[in-house]
Amino acid sequence: MGSLEDVRRQRTRTFDTIAAVVLTVGIIGLLLEVLVGRYGLSWTYIASAWPIYLRGAWVTFYVTTVAYIVGMGIGFIIGWARAARVSVRKPGAQGAAVFGVKYTLRRMGDGYVAAIRGTPLFVQIVFVSSVLVIRFSSLDPNQLALIAGLVALTANTGGYQSEIFRAGIQTVHTGQVEAARAIGFSRWKAMRHVVLPQALRLVIPPLTNEYIGLLKASSLLLVIGIVELTEIGRREAFFQGKPFESFAIVTGLYLLITVPVSKIVEYIERRLRVPGLGSQQAPTTRV
Amino acid sequence: MIRVEDVHKYFGTLHVLRGITLDVSKGEALVIIGPSGSGKSTLLRCINLLVEPDAGRVFIDGVHVNRHDINREWVRQQVGMVFQSFNLFTHLTALENVMLGPIRVKGVSREQAEDKAKQLLARVGLAAKANAYPAELSGGQQQRVAIARALAMDPKAMLFDEPTSALDPEYIREVLDVMTALAREGMTMIVVTHEMGFASNVARRIVFMDGGVILEEGHPQEIFEHPKQERTRAFVSKILR
Repeated sequence: MGSLEDVRRQRTRTFDTIAAVVLTVGIIGLLLEVLVGRYGLSWTYIASAWPIYLRGAWVTFYVTTVAYIVGMGIGFIIGWARAARVSVRKPGAQGAAVFGVKYTLRRMGDGYVAAIRGTPLFVQIVFVSSVLVIRFSSLDPNQLALIAGLVALTANTGGYQSEIFRAGIQTVHTGQVEAARAIGFSRWKAMRHVVLPQALRLVIPPLTNEYIGLLKASSLLLVIGIVELTEIGRREAFFQGKPFESFAIVTGLYLLITVPVSKIVEYIERRLRVPGLGSQQAPTTRV
Repeated sequence: MIRVEDVHKYFGTLHVLRGITLDVSKGEALVIIGPSGSGKSTLLRCINLLVEPDAGRVFIDGVHVNRHDINREWVRQQVGMVFQSFNLFTHLTALENVMLGPIRVKGVSREQAEDKAKQLLARVGLAAKANAYPAELSGGQQQRVAIARALAMDPKAMLFDEPTSALDPEYIREVLDVMTALAREGMTMIVVTHEMGFASNVARRIVFMDGGVILEEGHPQEIFEHPKQERTRAFVSKILR
């Protein structure tokens, strides 16, 4: 019984491997044929032009990273506010005021997330840009574009990250908070020492996804004149007449950022892994 | 030690506690039984203010604790609580679970907290599991760590909310043994449980709750063998089988 099943699995695995190899070799061969054989990939162009691309990649990397980090702050606060259950209304005028402020902030958070998630990033970028251009027409257009791009990306990723944080915090079981409260933790301390250490472990994979998604989405910034990696590729493709070379470099550079980022995060995740929290391999027997 | 005076609690329109009065003296182990939904858990939670009573007064060691001007974190440090579902902190080892409260709430030094935590784990028979995470422990082991965690705060009394109901039968004994030892050492405890053997061994008094009121209370033998109320009789016959 078992051995028959094993044989079947073995065959499937073998077939999968062969299929993957054939496909990969075929695709690479086709690319080489198109790029090198038919049109001739210009290595001299690549050798001379790569610094321009590197500059574009830097813009992409740094705009994404700045927006991502600031957005993380926004996302964390809004995510936390939205994750909190309806708070107790303490008696008295002060209690009512605190309750009112919290309620208002939460509803504003709801509105912000709805607006960000419900509209295209493209529209958000163009919208922010046009508002800034009209408001601060005296500033240098290049600077203005960069600021607009940063603002739009930050607002966007802030909305998405707040949902990630909200989900992470809400995934931590309420019994954990109750247990912490029962030994005398304040709400804040329970959050700090019990909920967050668990929630943050849970949100690492979706946060990584968000970074990589944001990096790719930052290519939309070319619409407001930010010269980032994709825009460099587009310009070079048209003005130098080198579409294959330029987009090959662009593709390579994107991968050069995203793949190491995923690998580093994977490593961190492994280091922080705790049995019983999040994605599991077979439980470790360390006792 | 613990005194509850005419406590009422509403959840929305549901009147969960309908005037509970209860007195637990120092060193007494009181057992509460009753069908689910009778308000037993809510009563325990009203004592350490995890749930705020809507009316009535709660005293712990002579201090009226459900006043508005009292520090609720302080009140909860006075009373340890053990939950049906253990609720150990998932991201911490057994030892760290026991250490966290003393370090973060009481401001005890790490070394002191660790010494004490090791002693407590030894006391519940888990010295060897100090570095295991909750997910690596059996239910009975987790619950014993949870007891050690509560004891680490040096509580004046302990509340047990159905501590063995979520356990596989083979693990119930070890948890009850720890609790029995605790009672013998003179810990004031209120235990919600349906473990009749434990109740007869440890408690001098059993309280039967139903529909948010105390229907009957008395010595275990009395309650189990000659209940006065019809509903007590029906309930007891079900759990004794």
